[in-house]
Amino acid sequence: MHLAATIRGTVYRFDSVREVLAKANPPKSGDVLAGVAARSAVERVAARAVLAQLSLADLRDHPVVPYEIDEITRLVEDHLDEVAYRAVAHLTVGQFREWLLSSATTGAEIRAVSPGLTPEMAAAVCKLMSNLDLMCVGAKCEVVVRANSTLGLPGRLSSRLQPNHPSDDVQGILLSMREGLSYGCGDAVIGINPATDTAASTAEILRAVDGVMRKHRIPTQHCVLSHVTVQMQALDLGCPMDLMFQSLSGTESGNRAFGISVSLIDEAWEKMKAMGSTQGPNVMYFETGQGSALSSAAHHGADQLTLEARCYGFARRYEPFLVNTVVGFIGPEYLENGRQITRAGLEDHFMGKLLGVPMGCDACFTYHADMSQDELESLKVLLAAAGCTYLMSLPVGDDIMLNYQSTSYHDIPSLRGLLGKRPTPEFDAWLQDRGIMDGDQPGKAFGDPRSLQ
Amino acid sequence: MSLTRTLMAELAARLTSRPAQGAVAPATLVAPPPERIFPRQEQRHSPFAEEAAKHTTALLGIGHVGTRYATDVVLQFQAELAVAHEAVGAVLAPDWASSHGLLPLYSRVKDHREFLLRPDLGRRLAPESLQRLRQEAKGGVDIQPILADGLSAVACMGSGMKLLEAFTAACEQRGWSVGTPMCAHFARVWLEDEIGEAVQARVAAILLGERPGLGTGDGLSAYLVYDPKVGRTDSDRNMMSNIHPRGTPPEQAGRRLAVLAGAMLEQRSSGVGLELSHLTAELGEAAGTGYRAPQARQRLVEVHA
Repeated sequence: MHLAATIRGTVYRFDSVREVLAKANPPKSGDVLAGVAARSAVERVAARAVLAQLSLADLRDHPVVPYEIDEITRLVEDHLDEVAYRAVAHLTVGQFREWLLSSATTGAEIRAVSPGLTPEMAAAVCKLMSNLDLMCVGAKCEVVVRANSTLGLPGRLSSRLQPNHPSDDVQGILLSMREGLSYGCGDAVIGINPATDTAASTAEILRAVDGVMRKHRIPTQHCVLSHVTVQMQALDLGCPMDLMFQSLSGTESGNRAFGISVSLIDEAWEKMKAMGSTQGPNVMYFETGQGSALSSAAHHGADQLTLEARCYGFARRYEPFLVNTVVGFIGPEYLENGRQITRAGLEDHFMGKLLGVPMGCDACFTYHADMSQDELESLKVLLAAAGCTYLMSLPVGDDIMLNYQSTSYHDIPSLRGLLGKRPTPEFDAWLQDRGIMDGDQPGKAFGDPRSLQ
Repeated sequence: MSLTRTLMAELAARLTSRPAQGAVAPATLVAPPPERIFPRQEQRHSPFAEEAAKHTTALLGIGHVGTRYATDVVLQFQAELAVAHEAVGAVLAPDWASSHGLLPLYSRVKDHREFLLRPDLGRRLAPESLQRLRQEAKGGVDIQPILADGLSAVACMGSGMKLLEAFTAACEQRGWSVGTPMCAHFARVWLEDEIGEAVQARVAAILLGERPGLGTGDGLSAYLVYDPKVGRTDSDRNMMSNIHPRGTPPEQAGRRLAVLAGAMLEQRSSGVGLELSHLTAELGEAAGTGYRAPQARQRLVEVHA
């Protein structure tokens, strides 16, 4: 391996593959905070030049966290599909980028290679791509999953309905949910972040949402995003649960800060397969986000993009129905502004799809990040055009519990109209039946929650 | 000429010989659309919106134009966003602390951008401030209150003094010694650890502007820690949020925080291990783990004739 490059007479040397990966990353405030970012734009390009000539085999041999000390590294290494790996191991990262972009390379061919890729490979090629590169390949990758409905088909754009309430007032949650449904939102999941992390309140919310779904025969799935251990207790209370949720980190120590491990999620998955209420086979829901490892000092000197890819390496073990990156939620110390948040959203979508998970994105900002509402709307269009599986949806994009700005109920039909996208086929038929949509146009009951009394 | 060239020549001739778009029918009078407004407190425009307002502060029943928002909703939203951004962007004037009789302290942060990007620097005192603290502040106190800007200097300048005074008075009433009143600039929550350690306080209490939400930029939070010292983490602290006139008023919050501090002094502990179940009635929100009560949405924009 040659870990040096020369640009205009200056030689840039790097000590490790991990350093090359970190310095090749586009500017992110979180990498500066971690002290791993390139010191100049030219050094960044030098790192990319070095990265471009490393082989995928080099990346497998040099995970950013050593095998001996990290169970996520071990999980990826021990379960890698050797046949798929051998098909691309010899390619350099630069050649791999070109193969992905080639018109001759189909989504099906990428899907065949995907189980042989480590997260480090996905992160490496991501760093050599422009935003439009990321969109072109992201749109080509197809990841189709099924629970109560079928998610990720071509030409579809789905949404999570997120009717959060600051004190878990069930009536408040249901009112918001009805309004969201009347705008055609909620085909990926109706998912509530609870204010109270208890089994009883998780079960109470799930029963209430389940009642509305049954009454109106809504073809979607429900989820309450409490801690996985709390949801396991809620299952024991006998409540319905279509999807089980957990936030993931890209390192063992990061996951420890979240109170989880591979064995715990293994156990949760088994329980969910036995006791969950969906038709399946995909029953898990994971959220991620660049910077989560550093925020618990669990980054091991690696950059936040590579660590994010490792979350997907963890997630794919469980054949999830949903994975999304909460891209701007973590704050400006990790992603400073609209430019960084936009870039990260497209990166995460690309890497997730490349690694074979049904990737959605919570395109969002906190009010102390330097991102405008117009920039956020632009990101939603970019994601939808890139084939992002789903976005969130909230009243005016405002999460009244978590205090941040995301996608709105109005944005979902706007994006579908603009880009000619439809919801999942099952939900599409339901919207037509209810008069919420009339073909691809708003129907008589559009935006009228009274029709879902 | 080849067939292709003939076709191209014909096409070019056709394209240049007339306007690219056909003529349209003459414009007819456009009727004003039905009024769709962001609801005022006293007036809900639909039974659904009225019902929703009883249960949630989410903006429901606002209708739509095409698939987008009505103009009035856009203006309300932009006003709420502007209020939040203004609160985040505000900076305490250099003389604000001294003009309010507070000892001014600075974290290691140089400017506002660095404050947002480097939480680690906002958690430590600048060397000069540490020195000044050691020279000028009372040592060995029971309680050290610290007013600070946090993520909203607007909140600090708004309810900050009232909260500080109410908390101080409630502590003194209980017979505890209270440290020198002080105000920290560019401060994060964990700055209380170094300050509390330097003045050898038994309990440190930082009162600071919380991260604004939509339409809100004036909320304060308070974080208390027993036996403060550098290296404490979030699990060592107890907190109370949503302190402002429309949430928990500062006077009431000050009394509740004193109850919380009392539990810490009595149990010689704070954070997840602190037993508060017997104090639920007296503590209100401070007994919980970060629950933030919903805030009534106020109509922000009124245009006067």
